[in-house]
Amino acid sequence: MRTSRSILTALLILLPCLAEAGGGLKVVATTPDFAALIHAIGGDGVSLKIMAKATEDPHFVDARPSHIVSLNRADLVVESGADLEAGWLPPLIEGSRNKELLPGGAGRVLGSAGVRLLDVPEVLDRSRGDIHAQGNPHFLMDPLNAGIVTRRLTEHMCRLDPASCPSFRENLSRFERTLDERMLRWTAALAPHRGASIVTYHNTWRYFAARFELVADTFLEPKPGIPPSPPHLASVIGRMKQTGMRVILVEPFQSRRTAEKVARHTGATVVDVCQFPGGLEGTELDYFALMDANVSAIARALGGAGPR
Amino acid sequence: MSLFDLWLWPLLAIVLLPGILVYFGLHVVERGVIFVDLALAQIAALGVCVAIVIGTHQGHHPHTYLWSLAFTLIGAAIFSMTRFHHARVPQEAVIGIIYVVSAAAATLVLSRSAEGDEALKSLLLGDVLLVRRSDVLWTFFLYVVITVFHFVLRDKFLSITFHEKRALPMGGARLRLWDFLFYGTFGLVVTSFVQIAGVYLVFSYLIVPAVCGALLSARILGRLVIGWAIALVAGVAGLLVSVNAEGLDLPTGPTIVCMLGLSLILSAGLARLKRT
Repeated sequence: MRTSRSILTALLILLPCLAEAGGGLKVVATTPDFAALIHAIGGDGVSLKIMAKATEDPHFVDARPSHIVSLNRADLVVESGADLEAGWLPPLIEGSRNKELLPGGAGRVLGSAGVRLLDVPEVLDRSRGDIHAQGNPHFLMDPLNAGIVTRRLTEHMCRLDPASCPSFRENLSRFERTLDERMLRWTAALAPHRGASIVTYHNTWRYFAARFELVADTFLEPKPGIPPSPPHLASVIGRMKQTGMRVILVEPFQSRRTAEKVARHTGATVVDVCQFPGGLEGTELDYFALMDANVSAIARALGGAGPR
Repeated sequence: MSLFDLWLWPLLAIVLLPGILVYFGLHVVERGVIFVDLALAQIAALGVCVAIVIGTHQGHHPHTYLWSLAFTLIGAAIFSMTRFHHARVPQEAVIGIIYVVSAAAATLVLSRSAEGDEALKSLLLGDVLLVRRSDVLWTFFLYVVITVFHFVLRDKFLSITFHEKRALPMGGARLRLWDFLFYGTFGLVVTSFVQIAGVYLVFSYLIVPAVCGALLSARILGRLVIGWAIALVAGVAGLLVSVNAEGLDLPTGPTIVCMLGLSLILSAGLARLKRT
């Protein structure tokens, strides 16, 4: 045991790959959306590690050694909260032995704090299929929530790196200006479709729909995380035919084939969208590019399919 | 904080726990019931699903462990009953059927529950990179108990696997009892290791070292020692590569599985050299 210990230690010390370059704040983001917001504030001065890929279902992420190493060295970990990462983040943080990142620690930021969460179940009845007892965690699809979260992130980053704070604040005000300006554009693009209903695979677009006055309460999944069953799909198809819903949103990690099957029966359009920067081409680390892509894809589909 | 501390418990898990799997692997390979571990793990998973659904409906914490244990023992009973029906139905078919039916049944049971896949995955599929101290210690304790049990009764267990003809005079009922004890303890080992390291790693640790041992030695003890050496080297090498692979960022479990695969290729080469 002792020899293998010293061999392992020697190997770990000798190999240089784990030494990360650069000073500045070390931030780990669970998902690429928070990473994009942090990048907007911190720029290249912050060393940033993203745990889930944009094309990966954020409810399931495979543990990698680099996750633990990055967490071990991180000053700050930003998670969505509301149980989104409940299945995989706690054991990684426990494994990282970084006390600052434990719940309540100075380095743990809950993205959902300060955001008004939707779909908080009134009765905690698990049989209704709500995985997220604290509410729906896909809140960044409402751009105003992105503003709230970015302001809070800036505060946290300022506290940990006071020297860079002025530049963080400058970047924040630029972010806010861009957000205000884009909000007008996005609202205008979707305004003609006010009240339209869309079908989504998972309950990801509630916040988006609420902000832009759409309705997104029909899901291809019968319950969050449960694959579509034939009777459920049949009832969705029935409802779509009855109410004339003609747009189905799918994300890269969801079953496009299911959406296509429903589309064949209803004449609907399947639209590729993503809640994560990088999940659509040209949107890496850029929240605005992502929302531009989402809004224009949805507006185009609603325009093409809506009643004329 | 040295990096060593980060990987201490994964390392201990890899060094301490697979030994007993290598031993069971000798049995499994000799009996030709290669996929019995997957079937037992899947039956245990079905038990966990039932516990989840009962727990959610009654609003109290279910005794998940007891449920999975009970289902594992049911599986062990089925395997020990079906051993001698192989006139027309090979046992491998029974194993396959049990696997696929319990996997499908688990999906059906879970569709009654809210938490679905997520809960099941986090309960059943461990990742060796994330093991905790308490997991390693508790599982090690369990394995020591089972090892002692098998060591004390080694004549019986070895003869029911390796000398079936000599064991036959025990009579059908006694033989089935020993078979049941074998599959029962095996089920405990498999399900607890699945919770630590996931399905692929269990399967590889069972089968690959045993096959390497069979290639290189005719004696049971020889196979066991070779198997242990291979499990230890491949496991530690896999962890090191996964933790150090620059830029690749390899998940640990699959890296160890590939290392075991590599050691099988090396053993096959060595066996060839030995023969010529």
